[in-house]
Amino acid sequence: MAANSVEPLIGHPPVVPTSRSGPPAILADHLEVRYRNKVVWKNASFDVRPGEFVAVIGPNGAGKTTLFRMLLGLHWPSSGVLRVLGAAPRRGNPRIGYVPQRHTIDRETHLECDKLVRLAYPGTRWGPGGRFRPTQWGPRFDLRGEAAAAEKALEDVGASELAPKSLGTLSGGELQRVFLAEALVGDPDMLLLDEPLSNLDIRRSRELVEVIHRLVQSRGVTTLLVAHDINPMIKCLDKVIYIANGKVATGRPSDVLTSESLTALYGVPVEVLRDSRDNIVIVGGEDERGEEGA
Amino acid sequence: MSGGGPPWSWNLFTDLRFMWQYEFMRNAFEAGTMIALVAGIVGYFVVLRRASFASHALGHTGFSGAAAAVLIGVEPVYGLLVFTMATAGGMALLGNRASNRDVEIGTVLAFALGLGLLFLSLYQGYATEAYSILFGEVLGISTAGVDFTFWTGLVVLAIVALIYRPLLFSSLDEDVAEAKGMPMLVLNLAFLLLLAVTISIAVQIIGVLLIFALMVTPAAIAVRLTRRAATAVIVAILVAMTAVWAGLFIGFYEPYPVSFFIVGIVFVEYVCIRGMGVMRETAYLQAVDATEDEGVRALRNASLTAAVAQALFVVGALFLTESLLAHPDAAWSPSGLYGHAPVAIAFLVPAAVVGAASFLLYFAGFRKMATSSRDFTSPAFLTLVGILGITMTTGGLGLFLGGEALTATAYPLAPVAILFGVPLLLLGILLSVIGLFGQAVGNWRVGERYEENSLRTAAILTCLPLVGFVVAYLGYRRALARGAPSTVLPAPA
Repeated sequence: MAANSVEPLIGHPPVVPTSRSGPPAILADHLEVRYRNKVVWKNASFDVRPGEFVAVIGPNGAGKTTLFRMLLGLHWPSSGVLRVLGAAPRRGNPRIGYVPQRHTIDRETHLECDKLVRLAYPGTRWGPGGRFRPTQWGPRFDLRGEAAAAEKALEDVGASELAPKSLGTLSGGELQRVFLAEALVGDPDMLLLDEPLSNLDIRRSRELVEVIHRLVQSRGVTTLLVAHDINPMIKCLDKVIYIANGKVATGRPSDVLTSESLTALYGVPVEVLRDSRDNIVIVGGEDERGEEGA
Repeated sequence: MSGGGPPWSWNLFTDLRFMWQYEFMRNAFEAGTMIALVAGIVGYFVVLRRASFASHALGHTGFSGAAAAVLIGVEPVYGLLVFTMATAGGMALLGNRASNRDVEIGTVLAFALGLGLLFLSLYQGYATEAYSILFGEVLGISTAGVDFTFWTGLVVLAIVALIYRPLLFSSLDEDVAEAKGMPMLVLNLAFLLLLAVTISIAVQIIGVLLIFALMVTPAAIAVRLTRRAATAVIVAILVAMTAVWAGLFIGFYEPYPVSFFIVGIVFVEYVCIRGMGVMRETAYLQAVDATEDEGVRALRNASLTAAVAQALFVVGALFLTESLLAHPDAAWSPSGLYGHAPVAIAFLVPAAVVGAASFLLYFAGFRKMATSSRDFTSPAFLTLVGILGITMTTGGLGLFLGGEALTATAYPLAPVAILFGVPLLLLGILLSVIGLFGQAVGNWRVGERYEENSLRTAAILTCLPLVGFVVAYLGYRRALARGAPSTVLPAPA
């Protein structure tokens, strides 16, 4: 382990100061996380500024989803400090919108897209839906606030025309846009998107990234996106968090994703190859240390 | 329950009033209505959460509970409640997705059935008790049982109203609901307990083996008819309700078990809905490798066949009218008609067969045309509906005439035959007309494509079938002779 040579990278402040000010949206300091009593990764220090678009990449089972679960307050760090939007992570934080990797929706789900988005607003209410609002004729059952919020969220992801369609009939890309609307409907300050691009071809991936990038710019919402492949989004990223082999590296894509820095980080030869269109391939450095489900 | 009172009449209200004079029938209708209401609502969540196997398993553990209750001499429904709720609790504690673990559930299910068998063998009155638990005994519900069902159902409805929204959300997107801080264990437990209670009361009328028909199928039908959650719940309730009511109604006049009629009605409804879905998909399939020429040729043959069918139909109808005129007293009695119109029937039956064949040919033709233009997918679908219509008309007519003939000999099947025959006949005629409409639209569109006026005329004349189809035949001949269409439509997307 070439721990010393890694120092400059870990806890690296953003190389070029961004225009975003204020306290960091995410702050991690010497974070260590265990999953079923095994260390997934440790000694991770990084921050994410408000309004940044960040890719979280790394091999399967490296602990990307675990990072999200910690930010959502569903998993606790075994040591170190983690702060989200200026506070300790807590479950049910309405300021975070989340698109999980796993979904129960399939071709047999015959339900309007609109309904899913409406249910997520705010997604914590009990009762049969809607609420009674006092009017001059007495209390009235009202669903308008919810309907308007859902309509706005679907419009923002360019999916207005999908609203009356059945969830089961959508294509992968359309479904991801509806999930994105579902995450957006409560006007969150942070979006956590877990593998939204898996199962999408290159063109659909780029389209979805474009939608997300537009949201980041127009709403100033801090966005973390887990992906296997960084190429569809490399042009619009502010930062990349690379997780592999129990280590976490952060920084601008051009700084982190170089043969030198990754080799230094992992202590084994890692090559970052670029083709004529600036597509990146990372070779080596992915040994057997991953664990499924982490 | 045949015999004993006035026979079945056409006036359904009189019939209902008559059967409600019996306490056991009142009890059955009251309990059945409440159970259909609760099963429809809870069933929607069963379908949404893919928990149909879990509901089946809960029914089976309920069997051992009911058998244990019989053994110690209490009402079976209490044993059902205890066992199903205990199983539901175990499933919920095992984890969120426990309701989907087929192997574990199956193992417990088999053991529970075996246990029930043991309890029943220890008990003396083996056969009848087992029979009513396995297949339901709705006519045996006591007034106390109705009260119990009513209050239990009310509690289930109240709890569903309370957790409707989070339950719906967590059924669709479990991980997000969890991240939003919803108590997943509580929701999952609540759902499984509701399911357990619903099954326990539903077993009274449908039995543990047939529980699927009330818990799952109505909701499965509903989700195929609507994309809205609230509407789907209402449709599921209506399907379950009509099945229970119609089943009880028929069961009153027939010596056969009510459970069979309920299951049968639900099954037929399900098959119809799925069949419609398949037809729609077939009609909208784009990849038929065929040229337009082949399409027009098929349509030409179809219109010729249709003309033959219409000719047979007209002759048959003439003979029918003539036979009625000769026997005026038989005019309003179908059983009289049955005796006097064999010649007419000899023409009408081939008319139906050839008509169905012409619909098939039309369907094939429009499908082939659909290769080059999407305009022909809807005529293809409507024609397919027409085929279903002709089949139903024929079946309905057969049931009706056959049933009426059998009424004379007071055979118990006759009321059912008529009860099913008349709606089948009416619906069949309606669908056949829709099919004809589809053919008219299709003909018009071919006419537009080839700028062939005789085809456009034929499309309008399809309302006067025989003439219309002859003109259509001539039109297709000319369209074929002309070859290429006047306008090249864009290829389907």
